[in-house]
Amino acid sequence: MEAFFFLLLAVVSIFSGLMVILQKSPVASVLFLVLTLVCVAALFVMLSAPFIAAIQVIIYAGAIMVLFLFVLMLLNLQRFTEGAWSRFQITGVVVAAVLAVVTALLLRAVPLPADSGFLRETPGLGSVEAVGLSLFTEYLLPFEIASFLLLAGIIGAVILSRRRP
Amino acid sequence: MDLSRFNLITIATPLVLGAGVLLVMLVDLLSGRANRRPAQLAALAVVLAAAAVCLATWNTGGVSFFGQVSGDGFASFFNLIFLAVAFLVILAGPAYLERNAIHFGEYYSLVLVSVMGMAFMAAGTNLLVIFLGLETMSLALYVLAGFNPARQSSNEASLKYLLLGSFATGFLVFGIALVYGQIGSTDLARFSAYLAGAGDPFAGYMGAGVALLLIGLTFKMAVVPFHFWSPDVYDGAPTVVSAFMSAAPKAAAFAAALRIFYAPAESLGLPWERILWILAALTMTVGNLSALNQASIKRMLAYSSVAHAGYLLLGILAGNELGAAGILFYLASYVFMNVGAFTVAWMVNRRGEGRYDLGDFAQLGFRRPLLAAMMSVFMLGLIGIPPLAGFFGKLYVFTAAVQAGYVWLVVIAVLNSAVSVFYYLRVMVIMYMRENEALKDVDRIPATFAAVAACALMVILLGLIPGSVLDVARAAVASMP
Amino acid sequence: MGPLTLITFLPALGAAAIGLLPADNHKAIRWTAAAFTLAVLLISVMLIPQFSQTHTGINDVDGFQFVEKADWIPAFNISYFVGVDGLSFPMLLLTALLCFICIFVSWGIKKGVKGYFALFLLLETGMMGAFVSLDFFLFYVFWEIMLLPMYFLIGIWGGPRRVYAAIKFFIYTLVGSVLMLLVMLAFYFNVKDPVTGANTFNMLAMMDQANHSPWLNLFNVRVLLFFGLYIGFAIKVPVFPFHTWLPDAHVEAPTAISVILAGVLLKMGTYGLLRISFPILPDATHTFAWFLALMGAVNIIYGALCAMAQKDLKKLVAYSSISHMGYVMLGMASLTAAGINGAVFQMFNHGTVTAMLFILVGVIYDRAHHREINRFGGLANIMPKYMGISAVAFFAALGLPGMSAFISEAMVFLGAFPVFQVYTIIGISGIIITAGYVLWTVQRMFFGEGLKDEKYKGMSMEQIRVHLPEINGRELFTLIPLAAIVIYLGIWPHPVLGMMNASLVHLVELVKAAPVVTAGLF
Repeated sequence: MEAFFFLLLAVVSIFSGLMVILQKSPVASVLFLVLTLVCVAALFVMLSAPFIAAIQVIIYAGAIMVLFLFVLMLLNLQRFTEGAWSRFQITGVVVAAVLAVVTALLLRAVPLPADSGFLRETPGLGSVEAVGLSLFTEYLLPFEIASFLLLAGIIGAVILSRRRP
Repeated sequence: MDLSRFNLITIATPLVLGAGVLLVMLVDLLSGRANRRPAQLAALAVVLAAAAVCLATWNTGGVSFFGQVSGDGFASFFNLIFLAVAFLVILAGPAYLERNAIHFGEYYSLVLVSVMGMAFMAAGTNLLVIFLGLETMSLALYVLAGFNPARQSSNEASLKYLLLGSFATGFLVFGIALVYGQIGSTDLARFSAYLAGAGDPFAGYMGAGVALLLIGLTFKMAVVPFHFWSPDVYDGAPTVVSAFMSAAPKAAAFAAALRIFYAPAESLGLPWERILWILAALTMTVGNLSALNQASIKRMLAYSSVAHAGYLLLGILAGNELGAAGILFYLASYVFMNVGAFTVAWMVNRRGEGRYDLGDFAQLGFRRPLLAAMMSVFMLGLIGIPPLAGFFGKLYVFTAAVQAGYVWLVVIAVLNSAVSVFYYLRVMVIMYMRENEALKDVDRIPATFAAVAACALMVILLGLIPGSVLDVARAAVASMP
Repeated sequence: MGPLTLITFLPALGAAAIGLLPADNHKAIRWTAAAFTLAVLLISVMLIPQFSQTHTGINDVDGFQFVEKADWIPAFNISYFVGVDGLSFPMLLLTALLCFICIFVSWGIKKGVKGYFALFLLLETGMMGAFVSLDFFLFYVFWEIMLLPMYFLIGIWGGPRRVYAAIKFFIYTLVGSVLMLLVMLAFYFNVKDPVTGANTFNMLAMMDQANHSPWLNLFNVRVLLFFGLYIGFAIKVPVFPFHTWLPDAHVEAPTAISVILAGVLLKMGTYGLLRISFPILPDATHTFAWFLALMGAVNIIYGALCAMAQKDLKKLVAYSSISHMGYVMLGMASLTAAGINGAVFQMFNHGTVTAMLFILVGVIYDRAHHREINRFGGLANIMPKYMGISAVAFFAALGLPGMSAFISEAMVFLGAFPVFQVYTIIGISGIIITAGYVLWTVQRMFFGEGLKDEKYKGMSMEQIRVHLPEINGRELFTLIPLAAIVIYLGIWPHPVLGMMNASLVHLVELVKAAPVVTAGLF
């Protein structure tokens, strides 16, 4: 049962991820991105991390994607027009195919480790309380650094969106 | 709750920088639209304060914040390097920014934020902290690269750096995830302990994890084959930013690499050695050969910095104390040479931003003798002519590699250094021996000149007292937990 | 602070002092340079009475004089270790003398006076440092310090093709340095300090074969290192076929720089062989002495033949240098007391004689603005004093008895003949060619019907003398001391020979004691 759901979610998320970049209409791309993020959220649920799953849906699938859609609709972008495949695209596809084959061979060669039982041994790992505790004890410092990372992002957004002289 | 677990001494320097970022933004906000001088002065004061704090807390903070950071001598040493670079580009920058009409106060806060990120890369004893530090640094750099929105190449540099940098970050995060999956922790002490344990260190996810970590870091170092971004980005970015980018982030990436890989170096074994051997040989050769034929001084310096990453990799590969200390010394001298060379490059540029032709240097030796003499010091230092600092950096790193048994790689490195003479020397030939092309005079900018002079002095000084600086670097390496 | 430190770093101090002077005050700059070089010369001369002629040196630390030692980079066992013995002391005197004289030779420099004299003094520091260093690393550092000022002095103040010549000089020399660096590191990693057991750059420790690692005792390895060093030094000497940079550099360099280049820098190559290759790798030296002798003979003949074919006077002197350095190679390869004494004495004499020749070339070039031998003629009537002093220099170059070069060349041949008969005979035949081109040149320049130059056609002697005035006081001041030394040492060579004999005999014994290895090679 678990394996079935995992496979289903994995396939759907990879498929929708592909569609994000293959769709010609930006709006459709964004909607597929929402689907991908929802699938990932579902995977978090399966990892008994319901809080992170909820955050994922609320922030990414909800807030950020809505913002994306909003902007796209405001700008009223036309569908992207494309010419023939460029040299780079062909090279890219070839390289990607080779990498895929290499990865598959590697996966066959290296046996994956058995389930460490890590999750089952620590019940409540993904609960709000557990996440909150670890964020404000063990991971307090990374948490605070992340805030500066966001600050840098904000300054950057201000700079890049500044009216051209 | 035990508050001693949050020992602020360990993060005193980045803390000052973080507060400084806010202070600089505030000062810039209050000082009106046209006047950026207060922001610059505030930024300089913040850097000096951070340096003072760094010296005062040198090697006093142990591991803290639940094993996330270590305020040891290693972190202090690198902090001083980063702060020196920041000080120089903040001191030298305004003239350039004014010239291009992009003098915004955010320049200062972004430089400080990125230095703060670097400080965490050097201090982090947890992969997560190193990753966050790297991201903070990179995000600021992406923006700085695109700091001149009016110029297409600057936008291109920013976008290229952002896209490729995100890929590299993706690799790094994936690597961290795989390591976590294998050992259930991102703590570096656990990481080295696991690798040192019995059995194949690369069993399970570990092999792929370590490989991805390496890719993520070598991207930031601009190691072949992950170097393609660097000439375009250094070339397109505003030159003050190129000076900063070619020096400090490279140092930070090596700091992180030493943090992660120095302790478990011996247990990484043969595949690791082979990969690094090939990467080092490729990087210095490709970097030097590409630099040979560049007409733009910025691209030439970009490729030369690729080559230097190759020499530095020798120190990582050697994996011994001298190799690590040699990297510290090398970087301490390298940053001054690079910042100085880039700064002189924009000072003498008279053909506009898009054209950094080597011909700008024609007759500089007679137009501005002192400036030309200092440029010569940088070029000779980059070649590695004794008794300048660059020579000792190379000597230490190469010696460490010989001690570790990589004689042939050192021979390749020495031959590469000989090749590099051609393009560094060309700058000097042009400065002193090419006929005048009736170029306009170089502006006299006291602050920028002072920054260049400080770089030149450091390159000479580090060459006169290489022994004592190496001792400090050794102590710094030994202080790593 | 001992005298050697003073001698080495006074010029650098002078360079700094010049840096502080205003750039347009040429007079102050020149006199400052003169004062500092004079101080160095005086200190060096005052050391002569204190210099013991019985001390050996070479590989014996007690045999060195005026020794100073201090830690520089303790982590690598690199020390500031200086001292002189009979091999280096004459070179030190030569350097001090030529540098002082060259300041006056450079008196007429107009372009970038400040930079010129500052670089010149820096060059003197490099040369002095290289001659007094007893630590290989220190030697290497000074060796590189010499390279840069020389490069600039040729490249900025040189003739029309100066950039080409400077780059060629730089690249040749740098290739040599890289080889030397690699060999130096190989020594470093395979030599243990007998007291501390750590690797060391100390040359004297390297000379003690007991300190060598087993790898360094493999004969094939030693041969490889020997030839690595040989190429590094041969480029500097220069030995055929590494000599092609020299004529270019000499022709383009300003007069004083040619003097230093020929007078001191070329000696650096043979000095390096004697100071480093011979005592550290005595067995390889002993085995391949025939090769050094062969190259010496080739140099003598090749250099002389090339000199004969030159139309440009400066190029002729440059090729004659190649030829004369061949005598040095032949003498030191003989590994006899006479031969090696002759070789080092020849180094000293060539320094003084070639210096005179280049100064004389500079004097005539300043007046005529060309150096083509065939366009001169009858100068004996126009500039009789110039003719007189030139005769001393040319005859000294030719090896006329009564001049210092005769004694050193005779010693070289006496020492080399019993060991390498064929090469010595070839070398002696070089003397005939030398006599040929020297006399031919003298004949074409000073005698004959007068100037064969369109420019002076139909002018009276008085008019010509306006264009070609007699040699002046400053120029005579630079030449007469050299001429005096050449003649004095030609009559009474003991002052210099006595200085070096003890050390060089010791060096010969050291190398001769090592076995000649023929089996097992290749």
